[in-house]
Amino acid sequence: MESSQDLGDEELVALCQQGQGHYFEILVRRYMEKAFHIAYDFTRNTETAKDLSQDAFLRAYANITRFDGRSSFYTWFYRIVVNLCLDHARRRGRVLWESLDKTAEEPGRQRQLVDSQHQPDQEAIAGEASRRANATLESMPNKQRTAFLLRNQEGLPIADIAKVMKTTEGTVRVYLHRAVAALRQSLVEFV
Amino acid sequence: MEKRVTSLQGACEGYEEDLVLYYYAETGASERAAIEQHLAQCLRCRKFIDDLGRVLPQMAPKPELPQAFWDNYFRETVAKLDEQAARQNWWRRWFTPMNDWLVPAFGTIAIAVFAIALMLEKGDFKSTAETAPVNIPAEVLVDSNQLEFFKSMDILESLSTLEEQDGAKPARKTSHIENGHSGQSVA
Repeated sequence: MESSQDLGDEELVALCQQGQGHYFEILVRRYMEKAFHIAYDFTRNTETAKDLSQDAFLRAYANITRFDGRSSFYTWFYRIVVNLCLDHARRRGRVLWESLDKTAEEPGRQRQLVDSQHQPDQEAIAGEASRRANATLESMPNKQRTAFLLRNQEGLPIADIAKVMKTTEGTVRVYLHRAVAALRQSLVEFV
Repeated sequence: MEKRVTSLQGACEGYEEDLVLYYYAETGASERAAIEQHLAQCLRCRKFIDDLGRVLPQMAPKPELPQAFWDNYFRETVAKLDEQAARQNWWRRWFTPMNDWLVPAFGTIAIAVFAIALMLEKGDFKSTAETAPVNIPAEVLVDSNQLEFFKSMDILESLSTLEEQDGAKPARKTSHIENGHSGQSVA
């Protein structure tokens, strides 16, 4: 099985389609971190991100025979992850965003901030900026947020994001710019 | 509290979208060269790019998870996949041997159900027509009375025809109706 680790995604998919399902485990190992991180970007919750990304693997495996190779496996799979995350957000009404500066609110962290000379203000301001930015991210339309998260957080090229979102590259560029513009707007008072 | 840590100012008009794409390395070679030429002489846009570089990488940082988390994640996922495969196999075991007759059987049942539904629907229609509440507007009732009249006229005409065929003269009562309502019949 060691040499099978070197097989490409499409070869592994083909083997799964021929009934050798155990090859799917290699795809799980290959994409589990990416899938988890995408789900985490959307949900900001470790357990939910784990459940959603694992569901994505189950769904991908159940539909592996439908994968026709017109797109790469990972864009097909990321689409499943993103759709599950958006469905989850719809079911919950809004995406729950935990404060990014959560650590700053921990007692130990607070003490450390009080002890230092110049840090407290700066940390508090950075925390406020993060809260504002994340509130903006939360209130963004789903497509803008998806484009932003896939580019900024996951580093997907715009061409691949367009495939994941089943839209044109031009549209993704617009979504991305609008997302960044909205974030800029939300942080403008911190000038 | 002084708010002077994170700044993110606007770029020159018409450059912002290009600069965002430039930041993400999503511009072509010629666009890139043009932007770099502009950046070389524009402090405001250079500041914009610097701000993007400072703020965007800090957005929604990923949690640092131990290797044990990933090992557990992998084990759980594989277990769930096995469970799913077992469920699918259970269905296959039950339904695969039946495939030869399952489709025709379901087809026959579907046709039978469809036929019964059609028959029931017809019955319902009849009973609905029979038991429908009489709520007919006055104008329609007048029209229906006229229809009744014309129906009786048809019967009388048929009677006249029969009488003519028999060589007998039409009855008085009949001719009265004919004179009053139908010139054609009088002639």
